[in-house]
Amino acid sequence: MASRTRRRRAKAPGGPRRRRLPMRLLLPSLVLAALMAMLMLRGYVHSEILADHRVRPEAAADRVPDEILDGGPVIDTRGGRTESLSLPDRRLVLTFDDGPDPTWTPKVLDVLKKYDAHAVFFVTGTMASRHPDLVRRMVEDGHEIGLHTFNHPDLSHQTKKRIDWELSQSQLALSGAAGIRTSLFRPPYSSHAGAMDNNSWPVTQYIGARGYITVVTDTDTDSEDWRRPGAAEIVRRVTPKGDEGAIVLMHDSGGDRSQTVEALATFLPDMQAKGYAFANLTEALDAPSAHTPVTGVGLWKGKAWVFLVQASDNITAVLVVGLAVIGFLVIGRLVLMLLLSARHARRVRHRGFRWGPPVTEPVSVLVPAYNEAKCIENTVRSLLAGEHPIEIIVIDDGSSDGTARIVEAMGLPEVRVVRQLNAGKPAALNRGVANARHDLIVMMDGDTVFEPATVRELVQPFGDPRVGAVAGNAKVGNRDSLIGAWQHIEYVMGFNLDRRMYDVLRCMPTIPGAVGAFRRSALERVGGMSDDTLAEDTDITMAIHRDGWRVVYAEKARAWTEAPETVQQLWSQRYRWSYGTMQAIWKHRKALVDRGPSGRFGRVGLPLVSLFMVVAPLLAPLIDVFLVYGLVFGPTGRTIAAWFGVLAIQAVCAAYAFRLDRERMTHLVSLPLQQILYRQLMYVVLLQSWITALTGGRLRWQKLRRTGVVEAAPDGSVPSQRTGSGSDRRPVG
Amino acid sequence: MTPEHTRVRSSGVPRQRTTAPMTAPAPVAAEQPVRDRYLDLLRSIALVRVILYHLFGWAWLTVLFPSMGVMFALAGSLMARSLGRPAWGVIRGRVRRLLPPLWAFSAVVLTLLFAGGWDPSKDPDDGGAWGLLKLVNYVVPIGAPPFPWSIGSDSGLLESSWAVQTAGPLWYLRAYLWFVLASPLLLWAFRRAPWPTLLAPLGLTAVVGTGLVTIPGETGNAVTDFAVYGGCWVLGLAHHEGLLAQVPRYVSVSCSTLLMAFGLWWASGHQGPEGWALNDIPLAQATWSFGFVVILLQYSPSWRELPGRLAKWDKLVTLSNNRAVTIYLWHNMLIMSTVWILDRLYELPFLRSEGATAALDSTYTIWMFFLVWPLTGLAILGVGWIEDLAARRGPRLWPNSQ
Repeated sequence: MASRTRRRRAKAPGGPRRRRLPMRLLLPSLVLAALMAMLMLRGYVHSEILADHRVRPEAAADRVPDEILDGGPVIDTRGGRTESLSLPDRRLVLTFDDGPDPTWTPKVLDVLKKYDAHAVFFVTGTMASRHPDLVRRMVEDGHEIGLHTFNHPDLSHQTKKRIDWELSQSQLALSGAAGIRTSLFRPPYSSHAGAMDNNSWPVTQYIGARGYITVVTDTDTDSEDWRRPGAAEIVRRVTPKGDEGAIVLMHDSGGDRSQTVEALATFLPDMQAKGYAFANLTEALDAPSAHTPVTGVGLWKGKAWVFLVQASDNITAVLVVGLAVIGFLVIGRLVLMLLLSARHARRVRHRGFRWGPPVTEPVSVLVPAYNEAKCIENTVRSLLAGEHPIEIIVIDDGSSDGTARIVEAMGLPEVRVVRQLNAGKPAALNRGVANARHDLIVMMDGDTVFEPATVRELVQPFGDPRVGAVAGNAKVGNRDSLIGAWQHIEYVMGFNLDRRMYDVLRCMPTIPGAVGAFRRSALERVGGMSDDTLAEDTDITMAIHRDGWRVVYAEKARAWTEAPETVQQLWSQRYRWSYGTMQAIWKHRKALVDRGPSGRFGRVGLPLVSLFMVVAPLLAPLIDVFLVYGLVFGPTGRTIAAWFGVLAIQAVCAAYAFRLDRERMTHLVSLPLQQILYRQLMYVVLLQSWITALTGGRLRWQKLRRTGVVEAAPDGSVPSQRTGSGSDRRPVG
Repeated sequence: MTPEHTRVRSSGVPRQRTTAPMTAPAPVAAEQPVRDRYLDLLRSIALVRVILYHLFGWAWLTVLFPSMGVMFALAGSLMARSLGRPAWGVIRGRVRRLLPPLWAFSAVVLTLLFAGGWDPSKDPDDGGAWGLLKLVNYVVPIGAPPFPWSIGSDSGLLESSWAVQTAGPLWYLRAYLWFVLASPLLLWAFRRAPWPTLLAPLGLTAVVGTGLVTIPGETGNAVTDFAVYGGCWVLGLAHHEGLLAQVPRYVSVSCSTLLMAFGLWWASGHQGPEGWALNDIPLAQATWSFGFVVILLQYSPSWRELPGRLAKWDKLVTLSNNRAVTIYLWHNMLIMSTVWILDRLYELPFLRSEGATAALDSTYTIWMFFLVWPLTGLAILGVGWIEDLAARRGPRLWPNSQ
């Protein structure tokens, strides 16, 4: 089929290719960027990004005016003023810092409502953005809101720019949550006015210059409830002397606040019985409300902000679930592969193991070739050196480089050449089957080289009459380049772990086009090769499964192939594979509800293959998204450790696969780099297949196929680029 | 200094180019009839990166492209190529081409320094006769030249630290000179024991660049620089000797990636005053540059001309390669003169409003960026031809074609 499409490419020059190239990169990278942005927004409102946890130690207070140090808790430095106010007698203003908290704030609000008390909540911008409904409820219940900065830094460490930003970002969150702005402010890590020092006083002055009233607590009514001293102790601490009014400091967030709630439930009725009123600040001071409604653009900006934060929270939750799923899939798959491949290897390597009586009958070897002038001679000679009686049929699929003539010129009686007009690989194979004299048929590629024992090893499983097809072991010959080494690792793992697992589970999804054997009766029963999909090898394998045959893996039937050398070639090859696999799965979807062996394959094999080959790669980008996020925003150390942990598991599996295949381990040195470059390429290709499948659903197969190849086919004029020759040499599934 | 007899491979090539009029006008061209434009492109990128880094001070630029390592590797490769001829002649040729441009630069700097009232014999660090003796480094950069940490005042024409900034790049000439002198020995060692010679500088960096062993003073700086960039220089030799081509690509790229990862990890735990700037972290600089250069040289395509879209940069690449020493020597002084020129803008009447001043303040580095390139052009016009004289070519004003 590739041959056909290559020809088509010559007819339709590269116009659409150039147009499509950016799309396949643009769409996935846009999705990734959006996910990353959402993750960052969430990290930002959860104080994982830009958070500053430094707190300045106490300093001298000689530059703080005495009237402030000795004055009340409400500090007014607006317009250059230096005034402070205290509350009138028998008025208590409860203040709650650091909220709103989804667990404790509703409980605090409930108690306050029960006793008809009003209070002031100094909310942080981050918490208000995350829990806007609670802020709305506070305002509706008659409480006042004050700012407590956006993400709770010690402001004396911050620049004026950052302070401005803390204020405006908090107001944005507040207006989005409750549609108001406020003029009350409480600096983080503050206590009472007497604790003001040379570091915090300039900040207070600056905040005043921005139009805010700073509210701290009274000298002896700081509950210090964050120390959890017990409800009774909290009540004792916040009870003012005599009939004095006071501002009481409590917290409704930042940990377990059950003691605070418990203390409120006794404190409120007791003090009310003593004649105290619990009002919000401006009520207590008989001043106009600190709230101003926000309208127009400001309101919509706030609402948009709150919406984005909510969305980022939800998306992140989904992403985390996705990450857990992919983590489970990856690790589960590796463990399953290790166990099952060990079982398979032990079974077939057992001393007395036999598929059945030794197979010695002659075999027909089909070599479909399209413009393979450079390699066809090597291919044929490697077959002639084989130890098994064979006839060789080279099917020339309309080559323009004299492939057929080269074979004929070799003058070998065992080799027949069949010519056809360029009609694609499935047609060439069907023609070969029609011309074959024997009942066992081996299929290979025109650029693949067999070892002397390959054919014999490949057909031995037919000693078992239930076996309908056999997959061989394709190996990468050009493994010295980086991209070659990566594919080598992939092939060794794919053939020694994946295929053994699929063999044991009886759902091998693909006989590689480079080295596979079929029973003629099996081929004939399922109607031969079909060109319905881009991956005719997967298609036929699934069909044979559904017909009730067993498909097994012959590890010693080694075939040497040349892997794509450039990213472009690799891309096009993998695009055909992944899209072809999706087509084949879709084509055989009805197996899901069939009876008998077809139903077994449909209910075990298809879901397994879909999960590992179609769904898992779709989630794989999450690993990288979280990796980048963790690296940049922390916890960097733990992220790297986790990544190395997964890498170690991969390395163990790869090393085991290499050992099974008796390969030298040196190539494993490129495994770390494979994980950060190659894996991504593979899933971007799969994403592209998904996009094609979803957007091109209404296109006819023909048209789809052409699209795939136009993008895929390497320059047809260079015969040495043998990588376009079909959906061959599949290491996995 | 270097035993001449270590070079025995050359025969038939005139020992002194002066005796061969054919080769005299363009020694480089005689050695390599066709320049490798890939290496030229790398050198241009390295130069631009150095200027950008000194202009903006972004630490990540040193990670993005380790310019100094790349430049030393390129120089090492060319040196290995030249060492087909007798070593003494090659060294003399290299030194002769290096010194005149330096002398022009030193003359300007020293004039400015003395005019600013600097007395090297009264320098607080090393005064007296030693201070005067060290002035020799302005003529032959065997060590770092002395300069005052502060001269003039901040309200003067230039910042008081201008001498530090201007003389800063001179360490490269010192290191280059050391490498040139050591090259015959390094090449001899490399041919006998390639791998130990290649990796020895990294080992030396791990000893002298990590505080394990501290060599005090200027000698320490020189040895550390030699160790840090020695790996890259020997890589240049290895590239020319064809060692890199023998290593399977997947091995070299994978191993250098691991080495670079180690460099980043080391840098993360040993950040200097400018954070991630690798210049201040010897071991990180050495490993990161080494790995980076391995990958650059491993994929070295040997272009005869710049391909595709790069072709339009051809003239600039040629110019910057022909004037590399001039650009490198003068760039910091040029960057500082942009400050002097831009400060004049504040005196313009229509830029005196508060808004205009603020706008100028916030876009200051951008204007520096735009200004530094024409100034570089002026420097090339003004003193670039000295490079031609030093190389015994006919002086050219604007050599942007090969």
